Amino acid sequence: QMAGVLETEEQARNRFQSELEFVQCLANPNYLNFLAQRGFLREKPFVNYLKYLLYWKEPEYAKFLKYPHCLHMLELLQYEHFRKELVNAQCAKFIDEQQILHWQHYSRKRTRLQQALAEQQQQQQQAAPPHGNPASK
Amino acid sequence: YVLFKPVKSTFSRLASLVKELIEMLALSRTQKLPQPGEDTQVLELLVQRDKEFQELMQTAVEQGRIHQEMQQLEKEAEKRDSDIQLLQKQLKEAEHILATAVYQAKEKLKSIEKARKGSISSEEIIKYAHRISASNAVCAPLNWVPGDPRRPYPTDLEMRSGMLGHMSNLPTNGVNGHLPGDALAAGRLPDVLTPQYPWQSSDVSMGMLPPHHGNDFGLEPPGHNKENEDDVEAMSTDSSSSSSDSD
Repeated sequence: QMAGVLETEEQARNRFQSELEFVQCLANPNYLNFLAQRGFLREKPFVNYLKYLLYWKEPEYAKFLKYPHCLHMLELLQYEHFRKELVNAQCAKFIDEQQILHWQHYSRKRTRLQQALAEQQQQQQQAAPPHGNPASK
Repeated sequence: YVLFKPVKSTFSRLASLVKELIEMLALSRTQKLPQPGEDTQVLELLVQRDKEFQELMQTAVEQGRIHQEMQQLEKEAEKRDSDIQLLQKQLKEAEHILATAVYQAKEKLKSIEKARKGSISSEEIIKYAHRISASNAVCAPLNWVPGDPRRPYPTDLEMRSGMLGHMSNLPTNGVNGHLPGDALAAGRLPDVLTPQYPWQSSDVSMGMLPPHHGNDFGLEPPGHNKENEDDVEAMSTDSSSSSSDSD
């Protein structure tokens, strides 16, 4: 049993909500840049807190995340080098761009697949013989 | 043969005795016997030698028989040896096959256990898939174009509208730069003004509690190493045990 903070169940539930929101904010590279520029990422307690937040990777917690990208950012934030780099606006912008491109990956893929399927169907229709279906009732 | 030499020597002695006797007999024909008892002596010696010779021959025959028996036993021993070797080979093969089978079975059990540990109801997975795709959190909407304020992360506005936003002042310097006004001005997405921000529909997570943490993060957590995540597990365990305290 850890000594120290005794919280009520309601306080714990609120803490859950706020931690859920905060960890997902980490998915926003601009927010990370904001935190870095104000020196939060250099503070020891904050770094410890980021490590504590890794519990969101567990399935029983992860299932509440709407923005799963935040987990990847959280993992990266464990590294000092990454935290240092985030001070640069250019860095944050680059991450933002890459993140959005990655986000579009599946829609692009789906569009390509739909196009390919449409083309294939078109070809099949053209290749089909003009007379009717011999296997009709 | 062991007895070859004694047989040979006895035989040669016998042969020489016979020769001597024959010489004496031949001599006794031509002249008188110099010693009267000599021929008897020689005869007696002859008989004795013959007896010895016969005995030696018996022993030789016996030895020959034993030798044959030995050879037969040797052959049989050889056969048994090869039988044993064959059995040994078969045993080794069987052992190898069994060892492989046991090993594979163990691996199979391991992977079964692993799968069981990670098992999750398909319903939950589908629910989760719905949640993250309905909000376009992991896959961009198909009609997304630059200028669309939607993002794979909570935007400035969303952050401010959540619990954290109401608790403290988040900066309004538009770190994200995407406010509803932009989209409206661009003539797209009129529904941005009344969005359903993800963390406002948190009815499901009502009963959930975060892991307990005893300190205020000012102290070093045990075994702390910034580049090493192995010991993070210590922080994220017993999430349910602490919540049952207040029951």
